[in-house]
Amino acid sequence: MARYLSIFLTFARACLVRDMTFRANFVLECLTSLGWMSMNLAFYLLVFQFTPEIGKGTGWTREPFFAFVATGLIINSIVQALFMPSAEELTEMVRTGGLDGVLVQPLDAQFLLSMHRVDFSSFANGLVGVGLLGWALARMDHAPPAVAWPLYALLILCGVAILYSLVIMLAAATILLGRNQSLYDFWFYLTNFSRYPAEIYAGPWGGPLRALCTFVIPILLVVNVPARVIAQPFEGQAWGLVWLAVTAAIVSLVVSRFVFQAALAKYRSASS
Amino acid sequence: MNRAVTTPLFPGLRAWWTMLVICLEERLAYRGDFILGTAMRFLPIVTQVFLWTAVFAATTRSDIAGYSRTDIVAYYLLTMVTRAFSSMPGLAGGIARSVRDGSIKKYLVQPVDYVSFLLAARIAHKLVYYAVAIIPFGAVFFVCRGYFPPVPDAVTIIAFTVSLVLSFLLGFFMEATLGMLGFWFLEVSSIIFAYMLVQYLLSGHMFPLDMLAGIPTGLHGVSVADVVRWLPFEYTAYFPSAVWLGKVCGAELVRSLLIEASWVVAMAVACRVAWWRGTRRYSAFGG
Amino acid sequence: MHNSNGEAGAAAAVIEVEGLAKSYRVFDKPEGLVASVKSLFHRPSRVVEALKGVSLTVGRGEFVALLGPNGAGKTTFLKLLSGIITPTRGTARVLGHVPWERADDFRRRFALVMGQKNQLWWDLPAAESFRLHREIYRIEPARFERTRDELVDLLGVRKLVLQPVRDLSLGERMKLELVAALLHEPEVLFLDEPTIGLDVVAQHSLHQFLAHIQVERRMTIVLTTHYMKDVAALCRRAIVITDGSILYDGSLDQIVDRFTTHKIVTLDLDDTPDQADFARLGFPCEIRGPQVTLRIERQRIADVLPEILRGRQVRDVSVEDVPLEEIVAELFRSGSGQAARVPEEARA
Repeated sequence: MARYLSIFLTFARACLVRDMTFRANFVLECLTSLGWMSMNLAFYLLVFQFTPEIGKGTGWTREPFFAFVATGLIINSIVQALFMPSAEELTEMVRTGGLDGVLVQPLDAQFLLSMHRVDFSSFANGLVGVGLLGWALARMDHAPPAVAWPLYALLILCGVAILYSLVIMLAAATILLGRNQSLYDFWFYLTNFSRYPAEIYAGPWGGPLRALCTFVIPILLVVNVPARVIAQPFEGQAWGLVWLAVTAAIVSLVVSRFVFQAALAKYRSASS
Repeated sequence: MNRAVTTPLFPGLRAWWTMLVICLEERLAYRGDFILGTAMRFLPIVTQVFLWTAVFAATTRSDIAGYSRTDIVAYYLLTMVTRAFSSMPGLAGGIARSVRDGSIKKYLVQPVDYVSFLLAARIAHKLVYYAVAIIPFGAVFFVCRGYFPPVPDAVTIIAFTVSLVLSFLLGFFMEATLGMLGFWFLEVSSIIFAYMLVQYLLSGHMFPLDMLAGIPTGLHGVSVADVVRWLPFEYTAYFPSAVWLGKVCGAELVRSLLIEASWVVAMAVACRVAWWRGTRRYSAFGG
Repeated sequence: MHNSNGEAGAAAAVIEVEGLAKSYRVFDKPEGLVASVKSLFHRPSRVVEALKGVSLTVGRGEFVALLGPNGAGKTTFLKLLSGIITPTRGTARVLGHVPWERADDFRRRFALVMGQKNQLWWDLPAAESFRLHREIYRIEPARFERTRDELVDLLGVRKLVLQPVRDLSLGERMKLELVAALLHEPEVLFLDEPTIGLDVVAQHSLHQFLAHIQVERRMTIVLTTHYMKDVAALCRRAIVITDGSILYDGSLDQIVDRFTTHKIVTLDLDDTPDQADFARLGFPCEIRGPQVTLRIERQRIADVLPEILRGRQVRDVSVEDVPLEEIVAELFRSGSGQAARVPEEARA
């Protein structure tokens, strides 16, 4: 474990060195992600011009909603920084045979393939998320109870774990298909569902969709559970959600690990 | 193929047909990605629809900026159609890349006009795209038919069609011009990105631009929507959709179509000039 | 089997392969519009046998060349021995391990270098990649530094270690790849076309380095290559693979003995030779300026040479073996069945 940590730090260090050699590019990438984010924030502000709340009686008024958005920014920036660049590069590695070089090294292939790149510019959004969270919480009339904070940290980790599992599944698909041009698109479209409070998925179509995205692909638990714990009045029923999120995170990690190993085994027997 | 494309204005029909067939084969070869990709493009709309449904559930208004709940759903679906015409994935980046890696040289040597070649290739791509994408599009529109107002009159349909064709040309010439900035700047990806950002916000891709009508610019009596109307962006997503929904009609429709046409001409000229000056610069300074 | 180490070699077998076979399925990509549409419903595929049951043993300290035309199965063989892929049939043991079980203990004891693939971080100095290697292979810092300095000095690349890899030439990059691969002092080294695309100077310095380090560390090296120069400079044992099977396994010198029936006789004449005059001798001949090249069966050389020289103004004469490249190219072309017959005739 300590060895993996030290290898990861070596990766991170190398990526930082690389980012700093291309400083202009690094700044541009920060601005890029900040640009997209502000665009979305502007849109939410516009939406609140027309309504006091998202969904009737859901409690997602302006400040709690922005705390929700901030939570999403933090989780997504962690995933984007730590796992996405490696996963995106995997397509290229499968195509050029770079994957073979990884497989001969005395190291867990999943670790190496999912964590060898760190994109520091993606942390920019997370920092803004932290600021936004502070702003939103300060303007709310109820402060989160003390128990909410450690839970919030834990649930953020669970959210990251669920998204990481999803990245690993997509990476497995990449290895099986040999290429996956729409890997990144698919990621974007799928995580799109996690961007809004789960309550909006209501009605004859929304109900099943909500169930699907909670229990089958637990994408709705990623942001919703931590955001609810920190931005909504803390009630007993929140504990149920907490357990659900933790279970979902563990199950996703196990399942994705299994799928990834199966994909590697397939790669080993099907290629020459 | 070289012989067939000597016509200066447009590649020969035979060359174009070959291109069309190759595009189709390519699409079919990557059919898994393609079908999945097209279907997935509707997913963000699903969340948007639920978001606005939730907004309408919480607000006391019956409409927002003139859009009822069903109007908004119809609007988002229609922008999918307009974006299918006006978006040019990879065009600007592709031009800039071929300038950077020097592969643009072959177009300077071959008896083919680069802009016309790109346009023909793009038309071929789009035609093939529509031929295959009509299946998922048709299915979604059929399922969602209840959200649409009754089919508009013939004039509106004609205006809609014209605006769509113009939006294709506008999108093409804007992106092509952007890509040709690669003759002057080594790294255009940041410019392309800035363009996409502005485009995303001001084209109406995110929300109906009528919602900006209430937002003042600071100038007396001028709203953000008034400014956006004179920019080219809204013609690549908002305008055709608004025409179909009957939000723009009469004199305003004519005026907007004229603005759109003027932008097409302006961008086509800009693209030409950029090509001439760019290639002159390129051959003067070497690749 | 050729064995450079006498009796001890067989006992210290590092690589033992028995009946190793690998087949995989490929999907044909149809051409043409109609075929593309058809492939929507049915993708035609076939099974390709990359390796059809290969058996061999390599002793400790051997330097073996794997020769064969493109697609003969050389790289597949190396990938199997490295444990990257699993075989369809057969067994293999490398350093006592089954490679495709990929035990960490096994993976720490060998290295694979692929000439066409870059393992170093592209945008960073090689020193960073080395540091990462130290972590991955758990090399003690003191040993790491000693090995690194030794390798870097041997290859004369000390100054390049701190430059971003992307700024280096192909030859320089290859040298640093080798340094990275040897940092953990592997006992077995697999080299897949290490000299591909290199100029003569870079090739030569790689040869020198490999020859030196192999002897010094008593490493077992398996090399695939297209350049006979690599083989001639480095390997005493050569294995020729065509079409997934071993065609020849033995010493390099014996390839010449076994597979050639002819020698090349070159005559330097005083004046331009007469084409018809030489054609009359009945040997395939080629005339270039005052130089005549004749291809003569080995057994007959002693008989016919005096006859050829008699009555002609010959300034110089040389008798040489057919160049290695040509023999091997001929071997590749002939395929297994036919080639097996050639040496028989040659011996008779």
